[in-house]
Formats: sequence, structure tokens, C-alpha cells
Amino acid sequence: MNDMTQSNVDVGAAKVKMQAEGVQVYYGTTHALKDVSVNILDKVATAFIGPSGCGKSTFLRCLNRMNDTVASARVEGKITLEGQDIYDPKVDSVQLRAVVGMVFQKPNPFPKSIYDNVAYGPRIHGRTSSKAELDEIVETSLRKAALWNEAKDRLSAPGTGLSGGQQQRLCIARAIATNPQVLLMDEPCSALDPIATAQVEELIDELRHQFSVVIVTHSMQQAARVSQKTAFFHLGNLVEYGDTDQIFTNPRDPRTESYISGRIG
Amino acid sequence: MVPVRLFVTDPNLSSQALHMTVLLLVAIVVAIAVAAFLVGRQRALTMASGNVRQLHSLPNYYGWHAALMASIPALILLVGWLVVQPFVLESRTLAFLPEAVTSDPVARKLTMADVRRVAGGLDVAVRAGALTEQQASMIRTELTDVRSRLASVGVALGSAVSSETLRAAQFYRAAALSGSTLRNVLTLIVAVGGLGYAFWATKPAFRARNRVEAFVKGLLIASASIAILTTVGIVWSMVAESLNFFWQYPAADFFFGLTWNPQFRGGSELGFLPLLWGTLYISFVSMIVAVPLGLFTAIYLAEYASPKVRAWVKPLIEVIAGIPTVVFGLFALVTVGPMLRDYFAQPLGLGNSGSSVMTAGLVIGILNIPFISSLADDIINAVPQAMRDGSYGLGATKSETVKQVILPAALPGIMGAVILAASRAIGETMIVTMGAGAAAKLSLNPFEAMTTMTVKIVGQLTGDTDFAAPETLVAFALGITLFVITLGLNVLALIIVRKYREQYE
Repeated sequence: MNDMTQSNVDVGAAKVKMQAEGVQVYYGTTHALKDVSVNILDKVATAFIGPSGCGKSTFLRCLNRMNDTVASARVEGKITLEGQDIYDPKVDSVQLRAVVGMVFQKPNPFPKSIYDNVAYGPRIHGRTSSKAELDEIVETSLRKAALWNEAKDRLSAPGTGLSGGQQQRLCIARAIATNPQVLLMDEPCSALDPIATAQVEELIDELRHQFSVVIVTHSMQQAARVSQKTAFFHLGNLVEYGDTDQIFTNPRDPRTESYISGRIG
Repeated sequence: MVPVRLFVTDPNLSSQALHMTVLLLVAIVVAIAVAAFLVGRQRALTMASGNVRQLHSLPNYYGWHAALMASIPALILLVGWLVVQPFVLESRTLAFLPEAVTSDPVARKLTMADVRRVAGGLDVAVRAGALTEQQASMIRTELTDVRSRLASVGVALGSAVSSETLRAAQFYRAAALSGSTLRNVLTLIVAVGGLGYAFWATKPAFRARNRVEAFVKGLLIASASIAILTTVGIVWSMVAESLNFFWQYPAADFFFGLTWNPQFRGGSELGFLPLLWGTLYISFVSMIVAVPLGLFTAIYLAEYASPKVRAWVKPLIEVIAGIPTVVFGLFALVTVGPMLRDYFAQPLGLGNSGSSVMTAGLVIGILNIPFISSLADDIINAVPQAMRDGSYGLGATKSETVKQVILPAALPGIMGAVILAASRAIGETMIVTMGAGAAAKLSLNPFEAMTTMTVKIVGQLTGDTDFAAPETLVAFALGITLFVITLGLNVLALIIVRKYREQYE
């Protein structure tokens, strides 16, 4: 399969970027995530797959502490970013999210101009000291998100006026502009048509050369196309984690095999 | 003004008997409608030989259709008849009256009132047994003292009855009676006819449901029209009286005059600018109080408060909105006013008045806090959670998110809320009456007593008023000006909201 070759990259040499050990998540009394341990590698695209409600999005939101904004959520266990425990009281969750960026399922550009959308992160984090510098960040971010050619003549137009696929790429550009070390993507293509999906997938493959990309997806084809590592979640458990090739061609756990062959899910 | 009614007792005795039959008639029509419902429903079931699935609509719809056909046209006819009949009767009765009476509108009005009264008296006399039906229609002033005969059954007349009046009254009675009879018969025919039509129309393929829904739609449109028509009526009544005012008082002096000094003996100066200034100044002060406090309250409630706190605090704040403004006026009069005077105005040497722009402005501002906070809270909550997630996901703090994402997204709605609150502040009367005093002044000092257009509208219309004098009519000119100002603000709010409505999503 031609799709697979793209992912057939040697990831053995990659260093560990984030490490999760024994992570438990509760929503009120519901035990949503049970004892999950995963290593997220640097400059590698990792895919989380599994049926709806299996906990993959919940786990993703633990990685940048977005679950903090949900009042009933409680997280136990240890997650580190380059050895630093991100749930340590000394760590500011706001600073963490600047380093671990996030792209959401539904494109959610702010009701501002395209330029202001991309400049939002750099502005609040004080990344730039001059307008020229900010202009440059906006341009490089839009270029990296493959949106520059379409948006360069309408930077002051509202971001909400773009098409769905363009909006999602704008959100990716917005996340890139804060210069993250890890980019979390929660089903970034589920609201997009096949052409826009292909563009975003291509983009993910480029981005993972610069930082870790973690993508939650419902589409196993997508996981196979864009990721080098895959984790399969089922009913709140991490069932299997390994190289994408191995998961899709030679799963060790019978549940994984059932899922990828379409028997459960 | 010329008094229209000469008598203190009920001038429409004859109409009482009439009303009884109208009520009875309505009851009969309703009864027919109920019967029509049952008949229509049963007819539909019979036509479908008990199989509901063969019918286009559920059986109840056929029932409703029959009930509506039986009642609505009949009731419309009845209402129309009740409106038209008096006019027809009057014009036909006028033929019995002398030319001198009919040509003069005032005399005509008076004589017709007399005619109706005598007719009513005759009705009472017949019912009391003092006259037979025959006597009532035959008696002549030449032979009988009608006044004393009627007085004996408790109907007092102001003067002796002229022969023309009596003849007219007798005709009036007879015509009213035959008119009412005709009306009753026609109404019942229409009701029964409607039932018959519905019975005939009820077939399995008949779209009773669509007919009933069309009727419901008409009902909704009629309800909406009533509110609009009322507004038109309000404007119309004010425009008429305002034009009356501007005939007597030059418009330029009203709109550009700097002095407000009404004298009921005449020679008033009715310049509107001091009142406009007072209105705007007090509203401005109140908005300075209400906008930040209301907005901060809304932001706290929507973004920071835990659900538990919110469940308690929101209703508590909204209690303020339920307090009658006159109670707020008391608060302004006994607490806020003296406090501002003792601790601010006097030490600063700005005046000795407890009633001031500041007092009224502060209290109106407090009154408007829940108004703004409640509306703004709803608007902020309507900003999609995705906006917040996007901002938090980029490492923004809560206050950065509120300032840079949520408030800009909610701004059009918040502007609308602020402008609505402003038009409330401009229209406020009671608090200003009790808190700001009654002196119309053009001054910048916020601790001085001033007054507003609303207060003066009330002031010019209370007590003994002469509705022909400009001092009274000015209230209408003030009213329509106020109406235009608040209408303008509301239109502005609508335009702002509409322009930015689709900002997010």
C-alpha cells in the first residue's frame, strides 16, 4: 500500500517527549480512563484510535490539562513533558498549553481577522517585540499550515468567512504560531470533506518533522496514513500501543484485531 | 369643553336588555359549536366507516373544523352587527327630529342622548309594568306627561319630553328591537349554516387538519397585530394632541427654548431643552453606574462563578428588577439623597440639595444593574464553548479569554442590552420625581436638582387640567418627543445587533 510507505519511517531512534504512567480519569463517579501508560515520541505522529467513548479524547485532553476546565473531571497518575510532571502544582497549566497546542474537532476560528487569529497566541505570550516580527510569524505559520497562498490577500478578512477546510488549517496555523513542542489534534478532519481532509493529512505529515503530533481519529485509514505509532483504546483501557504497521498488520491483542477488521466498534 | 352627558344616571338602560340577549346569543352559538364538534367528528368516523386511517386528518380535526365553521363566521357577524347597528339606528332616527337639531352637531348629539334615554325609560316602564307594550309605543306627549310617568318607575329626565323626541324614541325602540331580532336570527342561521357546511364538507379526503392549522395561524397573526395596532393608536393619539399644541405654541420655541416656566394663567415659556438636558444627564449618570457594574456581574456569573454560587446569586440580583420603582424612589429620597448631600455635595461646596441628578442617576443605575447583567449573562453564555476551548488551548488565561475572545464575540449583544437599558433610564419617572426634584435647569453640577421630560409629562397632566391650554398639551409634545428618542435608540440597538449577529458560527 502506497499510503503505508509514507509512514514507514524508522522511529526507533526518536526520543521520548511525553510520558504517561498509570493515568486514571474520573468524570464525577464515572471511571473514564483506566490505568493508561504511553510514551509520546518526539517528531513522530501518534494516532489514538478506538470506538466512540473509549477514552481517547479524554486522554488527549489530559496531555495539555484541558480537562482542568471541566469541573467534574479528576485526573490521577503521572504525565511528564521532558521529565517535568505537568500536574505538578508548580506548573502553570496556561504555560503548559502554550507548549502543548491543540486543534479541535470542529474548526473554531475566533470572530476576528485571519491575521488576528494567527497572531492571538504570539500576542498573549509576548513572543514578538515588533510588528514586523509578528508579521513574519503570521506568514510562516500560515505557510506551514498551507494556507498562505489562499489567505495572503485577505489577512484582514474575518477568519469565520473561510471554508471549513480553510478554517481548520487556520486553527492549525494558530496553534503553530505559539511554537508548540507537541500538537494535539482531536479528530481534526471529522468535519471536513475528503479534499480538505487530504490537505490536512498532508500537513500533519510535514508538521511531525518539527514536533510531536498526537491525533485522535475515528478513521483507521487516516491513522494508517499519517501516523508512525498507534494506540488502540477500548472501554477506557489502552489495549495496545505500538508501531502503526504492526498494529494494522499484526495486532497482538484479539480486541485490536476485531476492531481494525471491523467486528467491534 | 361642552359636557356631553346631562344626566348622572345610566344613559343606556335599553342596552341592558340588549346585552342579556347578546350574552345568551353567544352562549347559544358556543353550544352549537360544541354540538358541531361532536357532529363533525362523528361524521368523519362514519364516512370512514370507523377506520381512522382512511381519513386525511385525525377525527378531532374534523370536529374542530366543524366547531370553527359554526362559531367563527357567526361571531364575526355578531360583532360587526353590534358595531354597525347604532350608526344605522341613529341616522334613521334623525329623520324624526327637526331640521334645526340635525344640522347642528352639538344639538344633535344632545338630542340623540335624550332619545336614547327616553327609549331606555320606556323599556324600564314596560318591564316594571307601568306601561303596557302597546302604551309604550302609542303614548303621545299631548295626552300624557311622559316625564312624570317615567319618574314614577325611577327614570329621571332632566326636562319635559318634546313630542319629536318621544316619537323618535318610540321609533328608536322599535327599530332597535327589530334590528336585534334580525341580528339574532341571522347569527343563528349563519351558525347552523356553518355546521351544515362542515357536515357536507366532511369527507375522508377533506383536509381538515390544514384548515384548522390555517385558522391557528390566523389567530396568531391577529394577536401580533393587536400589539402593533396599539402602538399605532398610541402614536396617533399623541400626534393629534401634539399638533394641537404646536398650533398654539411655536415649535421653534418648544424645541430650542432654554427656559421651562409654565404659567397656568398664560404667558408660559415651554422650552424643552432644560428637560432634555436633565433627561440625558440623569440617564448618563445611571449608565455610568449600570454598565460597568452590570457587565462585571455578568462576566463573573457567566465565566467565574461555580454553578452553586450562580444558582444563588443570579436570582438574588434579579430580585432588584422586581422591586417597584416607587420603592426605589423612597430609597433615593430618604437614604441616597441625604447621604450624597452630607458627604459629597456640602463638603465639596457643590450644593445643599438632597434631590439631585446624582441621586436619581445612582438609583436608576442600580435599578438597571440586573437588567444589563441578566441580558449580558445570557449573551456571554451563548458564545460557543468552542471559542473558549480554542483560546485556552493556545495557552490563554481566563481573563485573556474573556477580554480578547468572549467580549468581542458578545459585543453586539451587549451593546443591544446597554441601549435597551438606556431607553429604560430615559423613560424612568418615579425615581426621578422623588430623587431629582422638579426644577427644570440647565446646569453641569450633578449635585443640583433637575428634572426630566417624563416628570414634566406627569406634572402637566395632574390636577385640574384644561385640555385646550398649551400648558397641558405640551405633555403630549413631550411624550411624542420621548417616544421618538427611545424609538431611535431601540432602532439603533436593532441595527447594531443585526449587523454583527453572525460574527461567530
